[in-house]
Amino acid sequence: MSSVELLPALLVAIPILLAAVPIVLGLRYDRTGWSVAAVTTVGLAAATIALASAVYADGQVVHVLGGWGEPQGIGIELVADEFSTLIAVLVTVTAAAVLAYTRIGGPRGNTFYAGYLLLVGGLLGLSMTGDVFNMFVFLEIVGLATYAMISSGDGPESAVAALKYLILGTVGASLYLIGVGFLFMATGALNMQVLGEAIPQIAEAGGGDLTLLHAAFAFIFVGFALKVAQWPLHTWQPDAYQHAPDGVTPVIAALVSTVSAYALGRVMFTVFGVDFLVATPYLTEIVVAVGSISVLAGSTLAVIQTDVKRMFAYSSVSQFGLVVAAYGLVTETALLGAIVHLIGHGLMKAGLFVAAGVIALGYGARTVDEYAGLADRRPIPAAATAVLLIALIGIPPSVGFIGKWYIAVGSVQAEMWPVAAVVFLSTMLTLAYAARLLEKMYFTPASALESPHGPGAVATDGGERTDGHNTADAGAESIAADGGILVGSSSRGSPDSVSFGMLALLVSTAVLAVVLGFAGGTFADLLGPFVTEVFN
Amino acid sequence: MIESDLLTMAYPPLLVFAAALLVLVLPRALGFAVAALSLAATVAVAFFAPEGAHLTTTFLGFADIQPFYIDEFTRMVGGGLGFLGAFGVIYAYSSDAPRVMAAFALAYVASALGAAFAGDWLVLVFMWEIMAITSTLLVWHHGGDAVRAGYRYAIAHGIGGSLVLFAVIAQYAITGSFAMVDAAGETVGMADGLPLLLAVLGIGVNVAFVGFHTWLPDTYPRPHFAASVFLAAFTTKTSAYVLFRAIPDGHLLLAYMGGAMAVYGVVFALLQHDMRALLSYHIQAQLGYMVAGIGIGTAIGVAGAMGHLFNNVLYKSLLFMAVGVVIYRTGENDLYKLGGLWREMPITAIAFAIGALSITAVPGFSGFISKGMVLDAADPGYYGAPEYQALYWLLFIGAIGTFLSFIKLGYYVFLHGPAERTVKDAKTGQTVAMFSVGGACVILGLPVVGWPVFTDLLPLVDGVTVTQLDTALNPYSAGHLTDAAILIAVSAVGFKLIRKPLSKLDYSDPALIVNPATYYTGRYTMLGVTDLYAAVDAAVVGFVKRCYWLGNNPALAVDEAARRVPGLEVEKRQPADGGRPSTIHLRTSIGTTVLLLTIVLTAVLWVLVT
Repeated sequence: MSSVELLPALLVAIPILLAAVPIVLGLRYDRTGWSVAAVTTVGLAAATIALASAVYADGQVVHVLGGWGEPQGIGIELVADEFSTLIAVLVTVTAAAVLAYTRIGGPRGNTFYAGYLLLVGGLLGLSMTGDVFNMFVFLEIVGLATYAMISSGDGPESAVAALKYLILGTVGASLYLIGVGFLFMATGALNMQVLGEAIPQIAEAGGGDLTLLHAAFAFIFVGFALKVAQWPLHTWQPDAYQHAPDGVTPVIAALVSTVSAYALGRVMFTVFGVDFLVATPYLTEIVVAVGSISVLAGSTLAVIQTDVKRMFAYSSVSQFGLVVAAYGLVTETALLGAIVHLIGHGLMKAGLFVAAGVIALGYGARTVDEYAGLADRRPIPAAATAVLLIALIGIPPSVGFIGKWYIAVGSVQAEMWPVAAVVFLSTMLTLAYAARLLEKMYFTPASALESPHGPGAVATDGGERTDGHNTADAGAESIAADGGILVGSSSRGSPDSVSFGMLALLVSTAVLAVVLGFAGGTFADLLGPFVTEVFN
Repeated sequence: MIESDLLTMAYPPLLVFAAALLVLVLPRALGFAVAALSLAATVAVAFFAPEGAHLTTTFLGFADIQPFYIDEFTRMVGGGLGFLGAFGVIYAYSSDAPRVMAAFALAYVASALGAAFAGDWLVLVFMWEIMAITSTLLVWHHGGDAVRAGYRYAIAHGIGGSLVLFAVIAQYAITGSFAMVDAAGETVGMADGLPLLLAVLGIGVNVAFVGFHTWLPDTYPRPHFAASVFLAAFTTKTSAYVLFRAIPDGHLLLAYMGGAMAVYGVVFALLQHDMRALLSYHIQAQLGYMVAGIGIGTAIGVAGAMGHLFNNVLYKSLLFMAVGVVIYRTGENDLYKLGGLWREMPITAIAFAIGALSITAVPGFSGFISKGMVLDAADPGYYGAPEYQALYWLLFIGAIGTFLSFIKLGYYVFLHGPAERTVKDAKTGQTVAMFSVGGACVILGLPVVGWPVFTDLLPLVDGVTVTQLDTALNPYSAGHLTDAAILIAVSAVGFKLIRKPLSKLDYSDPALIVNPATYYTGRYTMLGVTDLYAAVDAAVVGFVKRCYWLGNNPALAVDEAARRVPGLEVEKRQPADGGRPSTIHLRTSIGTTVLLLTIVLTAVLWVLVT
């Protein structure tokens, strides 16, 4: 076994094992978590990039766990192919980069970083597993780590949001497990590759096994629809994103749903296969309908939010709707677009949530109204937010544009005009909420009378603002105590706590979102082998 | 031939443009010398470079673009423009023209040469637009009155240039090529229909069709008098040449437009007080002869038009030079305020006389040859068709009007009464320029020795023989000389009769109506568009704002809607949390979500499995 073939296994095992280290060291030292996490994630990022270079040069890398090559296809594999490696790179790079925020911005504590590493390990496992049951296991690991991360925020809201996600996420994963059970009943296999070969034969033969497959797809799809936060099953997501600590939201928003959406795509295209998707009556229609409705409902809900993080959360509902709808189109271009949009959305949403965190930390602004005049006082975060929002709308050159473009082209190729209309409408609706924020930041002067945390600052949907900005408040008050500066609109937040690393992270994300806008051809080249294989 | 190969590399517009830049940095005398040399080189290149397309290249992604095309037409137009340009620079030098102005003038000359040497429509339209810009800058540079006039000039040429651009695009769409000349050297012309219509209208602005001409007498009298010399020569003449390229076969309406321009131009020229305005209207009248010749479209018509174009470049600039010297020395533009100047400035008077005799087509001067050719092309007694009979009379009336107005100009400026002021004559440089250009006018018109040289220069004419008609030209025939004598006699008597009433008339220029009309049309169109935009904008913004408000205050919106329903009492909502009055709790509980999940799962299973 060459060293490259070891990499997938190491990528999964190392973060999970090292997750114990901060706790052990914590017995002796106070603050080791961040350092351990930083070293680990940077190492993982380097390893995934090495793996990616191998995969894109020589094709997929398969690691058979324990060397147990079992003939019937129950043996457990980790597979790094063109699709999964790209997601793995996104996971490790984002995980490493967001640490630049959490170092100063928090949350702190060794247990938090233990959870962080566990989450990264779970996400990597979920990306690279080649086995549908193992996928459930990693789904649960990711879920559990996410619950822990969300609840690490101070205040009761975080706990409630975490509990909500805990229950709903487990229900979703259970639906998935039921679907896997049906699959196993029909085929007797769990390995994706084996399933991918068995399912077309069953589909041809028809009969009771085919009905089992239909049921399996229904359970799996609905389970993932919850995990990916498709309307109306998204209800856990805005709460989770809003009430998670500012340092956690970027990771969850950029990675957890993204990897779940990846898993959905993996199951749809590698396990069930294009022929099954197209041959089953109403299947693609259901997928497209769920995605399209999510796009419209998510954007509309985003428009009417007052809390910025909550607005971004609903925006994710809509953007993932686009990805799911693209899956449902079942064309090469649309699949390519879905993958590019997964990556692009992860990047942009991570950037936007980091920006929201930086602005909350340095400016004390959490609602859209409080963003007034931000461009004058915090030009760098405001500009980065603006660039990322514009990229999210899909104005070229930006990574948001190429994803949407491929999806739109795919919908035209498939002659699914409603989807083309939805892509266009989603752009308009994204523009609606992005424009609201841009207008506040750049064209509305900051009101001196407005209290930064007035009593009226309650989210439209009743999600009350709490937690998370404690750090900011504490900072502001300490200035008041030390220097006698009054806590008011003129000195909201504590700019000192915004570190250089945070701004660098923010700016480089914004730049990357634009630069990747020129990489449409590169994405197409990288993903070409995978997409071609799926469709032939 | 190595020398001629080298010549094909010397793209004249580039030379002149380089000179324009050098004028800015070199010492004044040296800079002007370089400029004059560059234009002299242009003449050499035009006459000695071998025929055909040179420097063929790819431009804007279109292959086979010919920026430098030499044939009989471009040779004559380019050579004429270069010749005049060289002496124009000398004239400008001794007329104290600022260096920046000279640079603008040279850039303008370069773009006009670029248009003259263009071998296809793409290069042409490119140069055409640059010419509009550089000439506007040349006008603007003078400041004062010239700025507003230059603005009107820019608008007119912007519209004209756009029309030509659209014409070229339409031409490309129809024919799939920008070629102006086919492989055999025949002019292709604009395709019938949209390209031709757009091209004629667009070029019509530049050649001052009646109705499109207001920019011409408006602009040319206003800038520095040395700038007027350049302006008078380049834009309109280049455009007349391009008009031929667009319609090589002519058109009856175009011919009559030429006749109308000739008559219209001289009538308004007669009414002018300002010397340069008078000359400007004469540009339009003289262009009328060229347009008429091109419109007739026969070999002799086109050759006459091109010859008249060449002559016009020379004598019209000569007249602007002479008048410029008068303005330079006296500071006076109004011809009625001058008089008797021939005693004070005999050199200028002689130069003016040469120009006037040329433009009025007196035998022995170059204008006689070319104007005669155009008249002969129209005259059914010679080469014309019956339908050109009326055109012939229009052109004849134009000729009489030309006589009258130049008698008027010469009489009031140089002869009438005693000189009221003591002024110096032309400076050396001005004299050199005037007599060099004037000399050409005389030599090219001389019987026996001069005019065959001139006609040999003309396209479609080989020596003295019109190649396509196979007839020899004979300008000094008894019939032509009789015509000229009649013309002079009628004019001399006519001037005696109208001198008194004419001096009482002040001119009523159509520009006085056209300018305000354009201004108010533009203004109200602008206001209309702005107001409409504002209304649409307000409507859209209002709609979006209402949508936002509905989204943010759903409860208030429902109350508001309910209040509008008759017979329904709605209590005023009291904000319970002291803040926002309208909050709907959309948060779905865990239980509800699980219910939703079950419903969705059931629905999907039902659709898929049954």
